[in-house]
Amino acid sequence: MDRAILDAPEVRIEGRDKVTGSARYVGDLVREGMLHVAYTRSPYPHARFASVDTRRAETMPGVHAILTGADVRPRRLGRRLQDWPLLAWDRVRMVGDRVAAVAAGTLAEAEAAAQAVDVEYQELPAIFDVDASLAPGAPILHPEAADYTFLRATRPTFEHPNIQGHAVHEHGDARAAMATAAHVFEHSFEIARVVAGALEPHASLAWLEGEVVHVQSTNKSPFRLRDQVSAALDIPLDQLVIDSGVIGGDFGGKGSSIDDFVLIPLARRTGRPVRVVTRYADELRATNSRHMARITLRTGLDEEGRIVAHEARIVYDGGAYGAAKGNVAQVPGGWRNTLVGYRIPNARIEAISVYTNNVPGGHARAPGQVQNAFAAESHVDLMARALGIDPVELRRRNAIRDGETDLLGRRWTQSAMPAILDHLADVAAARGSRRPGVGRGIAIGARSLPAAELDATVELSVGRDGIVEVLTGVTDQGGGAHTALQRIVAQALGVPLGRVRVRRGTTAEAPWDHGVGGSRVTPVVGGAALAGARLLRASLEELAPGAAIETQLQQAAERPDGVRVTGSFEHAQGFFSTFGCAVEVDVDRETGHVRLGDCTFIADVGTVVNPVALRGQLLGGFAMGLGQALMEELQIEDGVVTTANLGDYKMPVMADVPPLNVVLLTEFVGDGPFGAKSAGELANVAVAPAIANAIEDAVGVRVTSLPITAEKVLAGLRQAGS
Amino acid sequence: MTSESRLDRAARSESIVFTVNGRPCAVDVHPDTPLLYVLRNDLKLKGTRFGCASGLCGACTVHVDGRAVTSCDLPMWSVAGHTVTTIEGLAGEGGLHPLQQAFVDEGAGQCGYCLSGILMSAAALLADTPSPSLDEITAALERNVCRCGVHARVIRAIRAAGGKHP
Repeated sequence: MDRAILDAPEVRIEGRDKVTGSARYVGDLVREGMLHVAYTRSPYPHARFASVDTRRAETMPGVHAILTGADVRPRRLGRRLQDWPLLAWDRVRMVGDRVAAVAAGTLAEAEAAAQAVDVEYQELPAIFDVDASLAPGAPILHPEAADYTFLRATRPTFEHPNIQGHAVHEHGDARAAMATAAHVFEHSFEIARVVAGALEPHASLAWLEGEVVHVQSTNKSPFRLRDQVSAALDIPLDQLVIDSGVIGGDFGGKGSSIDDFVLIPLARRTGRPVRVVTRYADELRATNSRHMARITLRTGLDEEGRIVAHEARIVYDGGAYGAAKGNVAQVPGGWRNTLVGYRIPNARIEAISVYTNNVPGGHARAPGQVQNAFAAESHVDLMARALGIDPVELRRRNAIRDGETDLLGRRWTQSAMPAILDHLADVAAARGSRRPGVGRGIAIGARSLPAAELDATVELSVGRDGIVEVLTGVTDQGGGAHTALQRIVAQALGVPLGRVRVRRGTTAEAPWDHGVGGSRVTPVVGGAALAGARLLRASLEELAPGAAIETQLQQAAERPDGVRVTGSFEHAQGFFSTFGCAVEVDVDRETGHVRLGDCTFIADVGTVVNPVALRGQLLGGFAMGLGQALMEELQIEDGVVTTANLGDYKMPVMADVPPLNVVLLTEFVGDGPFGAKSAGELANVAVAPAIANAIEDAVGVRVTSLPITAEKVLAGLRQAGS
Repeated sequence: MTSESRLDRAARSESIVFTVNGRPCAVDVHPDTPLLYVLRNDLKLKGTRFGCASGLCGACTVHVDGRAVTSCDLPMWSVAGHTVTTIEGLAGEGGLHPLQQAFVDEGAGQCGYCLSGILMSAAALLADTPSPSLDEITAALERNVCRCGVHARVIRAIRAAGGKHP
């Protein structure tokens, strides 16, 4: 294949705007007469209230309107399950729950008035733990659950009212096979709640133009948000225009919007544009987090160390609301992905998410899978140790090969897993002997695209300027989506990059799109761009058969209507990017401090469309993964987030992130454009278990919970020493 | 603080004169108002980002008399008579500062939200230390969070720009 464009240097379309400060994020946008919005928030994790007194607040300077739950009842928001009142009307379920919204001339005026709203609460018994949520006699947090809207599907009924979601996967007969196993191992793990952690807070700006509601949002899935808003507020789709511009980081958290909903009644009440930029403390305590999880894995192996059966039980803390989860099962999307990338003839996986009075659980980069991978890859190492088999060797015996069935019962073709393990073995061999206190660990995994978001459409046109314009509903949250689409179309047409322009459209302009997420942009939306480019090529050929592409584009430009095509694509199911991670750690026996040494990440990514962005995703995923492995925990005490600023909630900075050796396997082609796969949610998945495995290798201490703090390592060292 | 005192404060504004990106400026604000708010709301310089609002994420970093400081927690009274440079003033007339060019060349940025702050921290470092060591770079950026995680590229870009610094 001619790869002229794919091999050309990658220049990020918006790169210059971002280094000069001229990129405009939602919080930078201002409209004439715009009001600022602040909330009165609950100080209690669970309480009832009879009334909200806004009289004092209403007289304060600059106040234009105050809405309370009484004004919005019974409207609730959510991505799938709409269980979160726009403003609470009789009950708050978490600290930071919104009780009143104030629109005022300045933010200071709005915040001052929000503090002057009086609410008389009666505290209720609260639930802070997943097990307590399902205990007999636990308070029921959502007594009106039967009334909740559930978008695009029917919500099943559950045996306990505090269950948010429940899902079971089975193939083969895990129970019977387990009984035949020569060895059975069971281990339990706990994964702390962390946040997606985009630096740009959620923000939203809403205004009215006649009957039409406009929302400028940090939401990365504007069409989905339009559906949610339409359902929650009974606004026809054609009266809602949502635009998501430059997004300052996502990491999973920007698929969920909260403020966008209540801004609309506020804009109606005031007749003015209204804007919210979430305070970072509220980002941390009152938006959504990666689910805290408790996971128990049980695996049976035969005499040769081959897995014959696998069982998993996962309990997620769903927090006060399920609103931030987008999937039907209402457990994080990766709930089944425990021993993914292995041959598993018999499996049973059960996941449950429960209501508590904590911060709602939501999506964060590779939702669900990060928790599962820590458990599963720690579990495999523990089994290897118990069996006296080298960790790479045990994985080799069980790595999935072509034609074999994985834990979801899916048959694999073109499995890169054996190749990943060969590379990991090479890394281990190259490192040679190690000194005391230094340990090495590995982890592997695989990721598939979300089954419900495999289709995409874009429009391509040639206008008067002879430029090929790609119109897409996909925004860029930092992954480089538009640059990828530009390269794909230029490559397919055989034109320089400068002849292709990518334009993001609002929900009123662009073809429908699921949005950014699930690693779908390059393989799925890129696939639509390629399909469109091929159609355009055919149209141009009809216009000027046999002519050079430049001539064809000129002729197209001269036509009164130009040339316009629609490119659609549906990606195949069961497609995998596989990966492996090898880390070296140096553990200080005096303090328990873990320092990362040499780190390698091997990723099977298919054909590379945008090499800089792809490696950027892997580097960034690794940094995010090590934050979750060693540093980050959204700590909650009695419902109060005690790490509600970025000093207490520490994310990695320069000094924390070691260099990463990235190895790309490109020979296993994917179903995306030119054989592309994806890279956005690979690296962060494998870091924590690789580090846990390396720590045991170094000092014999096994930490089964995240984050792996120095305190936990030191406690393990002391226990081993005593 | 009570809500009343906030509003009282808003009522007691003063004229504060300082220099922003080479131009003299006078604003009427309460002296406790953070510099960031004046830059973004009064002077419409939106390139300095609003992040954590507590001086912990570094997205709002600017220069005051050439030193990199977070502007979200810096009261206006403290910059009266001083010289402030924001990302908009980094390059001077037209073109890009060598650091900005190096960041583009290295792909050192993804979502871009941290970049204004990181570039200002890095520019202050290079002004003092044209060829910084790795430790000097990580120390200068210890309060700049980047969740996209291209830390290695940021370090490479700073080193690349170091040699070319005017």
